[in-house]
Amino acid sequence: MAETGTGAVTPGDGMSETLLFTGLFSDEETCTRGIVAVRAAGLRKPRVFSPFASERILEALDAAHSPVRRWVLFGAIAGCASGFALTIGLSADYPHVTAGMPIVSIPPFVVIAFELTILFGALSGVAGFLVHGRFPRLEPVPGYQLDFSNDRFGVVIECAASERGRVEILLLAAGATGVTVLGANLPRGEDQGEG
Amino acid sequence: MATDELRYGDVNRWVLQTLKPPGRTYWLWVGFLAAVVAIGITTWTYQIYAGLGVTGLRQPNMWAIYITNFVFWVGIAHSGTLISAILLLFRTRWRTPVYRAAETMTGFAVLTAGLFPLIHLGRSWFFYWLMPYPNERWLQPNFRSPLVWDAFAVSTYLIVSWVFLLMGLIPDVAAARDAATGWRQTFYRLLSLGWQGSDDQWRHFSAAYLLLAGLATPLVISVHSVVSWDFAMTQLPGWHSTIFAPYFVAGAIFSGCALVLTLLIPLRRLMGLEEAITPWHLDNLSKVILFMSLVVTYSYVTEAFIAWYSANPFEQMAFHMRYWGPYGPLFWLMVFCNCVVPLVLFSPRVRRSMSGLFILSIFINIGMWTERFVIIAGSLATNFMPSQWAFYKPTWVEITITVASFAWFLMWFTLFAKFLPIVSMTEVKEGIAWQKQALAQ
Repeated sequence: MAETGTGAVTPGDGMSETLLFTGLFSDEETCTRGIVAVRAAGLRKPRVFSPFASERILEALDAAHSPVRRWVLFGAIAGCASGFALTIGLSADYPHVTAGMPIVSIPPFVVIAFELTILFGALSGVAGFLVHGRFPRLEPVPGYQLDFSNDRFGVVIECAASERGRVEILLLAAGATGVTVLGANLPRGEDQGEG
Repeated sequence: MATDELRYGDVNRWVLQTLKPPGRTYWLWVGFLAAVVAIGITTWTYQIYAGLGVTGLRQPNMWAIYITNFVFWVGIAHSGTLISAILLLFRTRWRTPVYRAAETMTGFAVLTAGLFPLIHLGRSWFFYWLMPYPNERWLQPNFRSPLVWDAFAVSTYLIVSWVFLLMGLIPDVAAARDAATGWRQTFYRLLSLGWQGSDDQWRHFSAAYLLLAGLATPLVISVHSVVSWDFAMTQLPGWHSTIFAPYFVAGAIFSGCALVLTLLIPLRRLMGLEEAITPWHLDNLSKVILFMSLVVTYSYVTEAFIAWYSANPFEQMAFHMRYWGPYGPLFWLMVFCNCVVPLVLFSPRVRRSMSGLFILSIFINIGMWTERFVIIAGSLATNFMPSQWAFYKPTWVEITITVASFAWFLMWFTLFAKFLPIVSMTEVKEGIAWQKQALAQ
């Protein structure tokens, strides 16, 4: 059963005020439909909450590839370079011949360089995730509800109060089980424009 | 698991009920394990005080049970990465409810493995000599030595496997946070880093997680290859073999998958996860074990063939002693456990029998530990000079520390399973969505 306007709408909201509409969906398919409907209506790109990673949702949002890929690539290159620099540099610095092998023996150094490639690539990938995901987050993302980590999907749209009727109809028609409305306090650019 | 009838909320319900405050029996079990660990630490302290003379390490057996434990635990770790990373890359659906337990096993197994080179050193506080660091004597490690490779490989594996585990936990810990109260909520809030599952967070998470899996896959193969080169790079008959790297990797996956079964079967029962971890999942895991058993058997045969075909008398004698020498019974025990017993997995009935799988996994654990011992201690005992031959026997010190290492591993695993989600809720839900979509098509 659809529920509308259950959020904390400030009494006396003027028509020019910006509100935050959250369409609640019970599955991935209707959620994707909701995103497509919102985008087709020319509204601002929504923010979507989901209980698991969904490629369909990201496709519907037309999300760009994550820049974390580049962090991993550059980290791995730095690791590889560090591995060779470390082994060659320190072997040259302490030229101790063992078993008649050359001081700079590239094949055994490949092992160290390989391990550091993986290590630096992994750690820089995690660093990229933390930076781009803006972690740690001390404050909840506007529009978040506890059910989004359980079994609900949320499509959050920020738009003028005058659009209220249209947005609610749009979300419910797409299959939303309910729409909540909040007085918006959404920092510009956060979680929105980067993709 | 009939996922077409499942709801996403069921998954949270299954997993979050495992995080309820534990009962008395749980704490008694943890207390027992902690007591065994304490005995192990005391014994290690005694070994440090008295010196390595209290162990059975004598020429020519200077590597024995401690190195066996090291190789065994590193091997155990590998299946966790196989199940979580490699099967993720292949989009294998059956891995979703079992991979977190396997990954947790990996984390604690590497932690346990890392202890043994320190214990084996005798003067453990000098372990850092394997790593390059500025020092007044201007000495640097020998980067051409497999032991230095090993230090880099195992340290990298320890860090990457923990990063992989902790990162994958973030969305699930957030779900636990949203359902918890009190100190648990604070604990989960800290660990979840403020995760809320927005599209942007998922986008970066998925990219980072997939790339970590891509990096962990070659890492896992490299680490056990490097461990095998600790042996294969020497001239010792029985160790100096080109098949050691794939042979060790196959054995690692085999033993690790078996320990996953050993842990999962009681876990699903004790924690009420029968609906999440079903016989279907364990059936698939058993097929991997069966396949790896065949690979390991093939490796044993190849090893024997190489010794015979090489016409190298030292190599042939080493293998003759391995089969018929003082450690011969251990060799045949290992063949029985690793090659013969797993053949029962050709039967679908056995693959779906929980008690059958549990018993089988114990056989494999014993067989794989014995294999490491036979390779390490058995080869050293019969080197080039028969006049030097001597057969190693562990002392109570080594046996106590070995037993304590199992308790150490189980203690951390038990604590983890009760305080953090041992089944990935997000990936199981992803599987439900995938199946719904497949059915719709």
